Amino acid sequence: MIRTLPVLVVIALIAALPVFGDNYLLRLGTMFAMYAVLAYSWNVIGGFAGYPSFATAAFFGLGAYAGALMQGAGVPMPFAWASAGIVSAVFALLLGFAILHLKGHYFAIASLVIAQVLMEIATSWSSFTGGGTGLNLPVLRISIEAQARLFFWSMLALAVMAFLMNVAVARTRFGFALTCIRQNEDASAMVGINPTLYKVAAFVCSAVFVGAAGAMYASWVFYIEPGDVFRVLVSVKPIVMVMLGGAGTVLGPGIGALLFLVLEEVVWRSFLSVHAMVLGVIIVALIFFLPRGVLGLVRRRKAAKVPAFSPGRSA
Amino acid sequence: MIYLQILVNGLVLGGLYACIAVGFSLVWGVLNVINILHGTFVVLGSYIAYFAYVRLGIHPYFSIALAGAVLFAVGYAIQAGLINRVIGAPVLTTLVLTFGLDLILNNATLVAFSADYRTVQLAHPLGSKVVGGIVLPLDRVVAMLLALALTGLLYLVLVRSRIGRAIVAVRMDAEAAALMGVNVKRVYAITFGLGALMAGAAGSLLSLIFPISPLASTEYLSLAFVVCVLGGLGSILGAMVGGLALGIIQSFGALLIGPQHGLTVSFGLLILLLIFRPTGLMGKRGYE
Amino acid sequence: MAFTKGSSRLWGLGLGLVMAAAVSTASTAQEVIRIGAPLPLTGPLSPEGVKQQRGYNLWAKAANAKGGITAGGKTYKVEIVYVDYESNTPRAVQSAERLITSDKVNFLFSPFGSGAAKAASSVSERYRIPTIAATASSVEVYDQGYKYLFGTFTPNDTLTNPLADIVSKSGQNVKTIAIYARNDLFPRAIAKEMEKSAKARGIEVVSFDEYAIGTMDHASALTLMLQRKPDWVFGTGYINDLILMRRQMADLGVKPKVLTMIAGPAYQEFIDATGPLAQNISSAAWWHPAVAYNGTDIFGKTADYVAAFQAEYKSVPDYAEASASAAGAILQMAIAKAGTIDPEKVRDALASLDVTTFYGPVRFGPTGQIVSLEPPAFQIQDGKAKVFYPAAVKQTDLQFGIAR
Repeated sequence: MIRTLPVLVVIALIAALPVFGDNYLLRLGTMFAMYAVLAYSWNVIGGFAGYPSFATAAFFGLGAYAGALMQGAGVPMPFAWASAGIVSAVFALLLGFAILHLKGHYFAIASLVIAQVLMEIATSWSSFTGGGTGLNLPVLRISIEAQARLFFWSMLALAVMAFLMNVAVARTRFGFALTCIRQNEDASAMVGINPTLYKVAAFVCSAVFVGAAGAMYASWVFYIEPGDVFRVLVSVKPIVMVMLGGAGTVLGPGIGALLFLVLEEVVWRSFLSVHAMVLGVIIVALIFFLPRGVLGLVRRRKAAKVPAFSPGRSA
Repeated sequence: MIYLQILVNGLVLGGLYACIAVGFSLVWGVLNVINILHGTFVVLGSYIAYFAYVRLGIHPYFSIALAGAVLFAVGYAIQAGLINRVIGAPVLTTLVLTFGLDLILNNATLVAFSADYRTVQLAHPLGSKVVGGIVLPLDRVVAMLLALALTGLLYLVLVRSRIGRAIVAVRMDAEAAALMGVNVKRVYAITFGLGALMAGAAGSLLSLIFPISPLASTEYLSLAFVVCVLGGLGSILGAMVGGLALGIIQSFGALLIGPQHGLTVSFGLLILLLIFRPTGLMGKRGYE
Repeated sequence: MAFTKGSSRLWGLGLGLVMAAAVSTASTAQEVIRIGAPLPLTGPLSPEGVKQQRGYNLWAKAANAKGGITAGGKTYKVEIVYVDYESNTPRAVQSAERLITSDKVNFLFSPFGSGAAKAASSVSERYRIPTIAATASSVEVYDQGYKYLFGTFTPNDTLTNPLADIVSKSGQNVKTIAIYARNDLFPRAIAKEMEKSAKARGIEVVSFDEYAIGTMDHASALTLMLQRKPDWVFGTGYINDLILMRRQMADLGVKPKVLTMIAGPAYQEFIDATGPLAQNISSAAWWHPAVAYNGTDIFGKTADYVAAFQAEYKSVPDYAEASASAAGAILQMAIAKAGTIDPEKVRDALASLDVTTFYGPVRFGPTGQIVSLEPPAFQIQDGKAKVFYPAAVKQTDLQFGIAR
């Protein structure tokens, strides 16, 4: 059974970060919350349903541009964030019907290429998106400290929502259906599950908060360019985080996001020009030594009989 | 006349694209591994050709053999030592693994050679020839012909040689092949090595055309993706058709819609193809 | 799926680690001036990042060799804190904030280029850290009303206007220009300026095309260009784009009377990589080793700077490297003038600076952008970049026609 209290305590502790942290720590906290949003969102399609989605960058970038353009047109910030989430969700809905019939590698590539297409469109459609020059967002007229807190708490709220979405998925028939699809899509139809419907729903779930996070990110850094918000790494990082924590679990993505951020930050600080290499070594080591993530390790220690999850089985 | 010129441009470009993609396609088809390292392999091939020319005076046309041999060894070692350990794992595992390996290898390349762009400048370039009003950049044309010849050679190896038949057998059914006495893991390593060999050879030819830098790897990789999906996964013929098609599409796209949309067109096409014909232009044919 | 004790302990551990990572700031030893420099050391801009680093390092080494920077009777050692922002602009902003809040730098050098410099300037402005941008030319970077940002590049039109002037008055009958630009911040901005400069002088712009970032083939665009027969071709992009472009121009036989490229030809790598094809390519930049100034800064005469650079790196400095060194030298002069490292006083000293350096005369306008520089225009002749403008440092005349 899920114990609510420790979760609430942890969330409250994180939310209290502004009390004892400077702005840079808050920046890291915001980054953590953003990573958690991405990881939890990916977990629905990639972890529960087992579809190796690389569409995170597409949803993120789309949300960032939707939010930035709306804010540029004078839409108040919170509305721009919410609308960006909806834009990404609608996009995922349409896209889901188009590409979710693909399996394994084909699906992975299709979802990867979507982000590339959007990047190219954002780059070449200069009159609308600013092209390669990028877009500047309106600067907020509040103090730096207030800004740092605002974005931290907003992003954390989004992360909590994404987390609750995972809890909801795991506890309901939705999660059961996705697990069935992951284990055997053809057989799932026989137990009365409409795979297409559930897959598309999962895809939309994996987009809505990412889109909002993209818009929030745009407001936070107040400058976006296609090569940044659509970069492949935006899709790859959440996957690594979820694998780091434990795929298809409710706690894994959060733990993975935190560990990944810590690793990334420490490596980035310690190695000036070879940090990518060190990160690569860590990723490779992870594959070999921690294939089921941190949670898998904990579980194995406790010798609990938890069925091993492995994303992307449908390949 | 201009359309003919654009067609020629596209074909020359497409032949090179095919050569970049064919090794990637082979690995994908036989091992079911998306090899993110492929772009960096191509770059390494270019560096080998560059140093062979600058230090030893070996023309890049001939350093194909050298680059191919070195990259084969590298590829074989990576597959035998690392990827074979997780070869049965889901798509994501191998993909994230090659992604991690690419972070390492590409960063190492950057540290070793710096990001500065280099080029091979031939002492005696072939120059251009005008045939019936069509300009033929001869070095590009020769490189493209060599690229296509190499691709054809790989096809022959797969169809005719013993190891080629083993690769095809493993591709069709690894378990059955194992029962027939094929050492599957070794075949995997050789296949991955062959994929890297083709990347190295392509890199060697490309050293004549594109500025050489570790930064070019991502472009080569995304090209390989597009070509494979265009032509059909894992088939040699598919890579050839996909490469030529992409070259022509990009050339005409740049002419008709403007150079800033050339890439958008090819990616957009790719999406449509994935949705409506995921097996590629060539379908399931040409697997052998 | 249960929340286990083990996993909540992990949460706590992770949180602790984050804090440890963030709080562990290096102790600010006394008598050291720390300058933060976020640079793109990996990713697409890494060649530029490395150049900046070389320029800064040379200055820091020169300053420390003389014991450091003296201000108000105290001597400070120079320490530059580098951060790699992976050619990713928001990461550059993050780096700037990290350098200021957790590495406690006294001053900042901006990240590369106008876009990143502009984005990061808001951070240094908030924290009131005097910041020098060594590679930002766009006016939009400086007209934000910021007080703490200074830049060593003049606006883009100071590059294109002299070129257009000289070509239009050459008597070589240059009537048309084709502009071909990379769809990216600086290449596009300078191309737009060229369009204006050309139009203002009655040169007809027969085409203005943009190509996507990551384009690997220019054949179609060049084939079209060939048909329009422009007298002048103006290509912009980064060094790899321009190398490929030049080679394909030769392949397809595009031979304008004037070929101008920005921003590759100022770099020796470009000349090396294009070889004989580099002949008669013209360009402009904010500095060139042929200029001759009698600086009162740490490097002194321009020739002395070039010699010091060559002794260190075995190559001739280009404008990006020189501008980075100049940023350091200028900061040093401002600190000496202020007699303190108090950021407010150094800022005021920078704003009122009026000196001559190896880089050129330095005076910042009201927006913080340098106003005293006259960027040289040059042409590659026999493997060497030779200045044909301004008259004071002229080495050659602009030649017409290009190789092959």
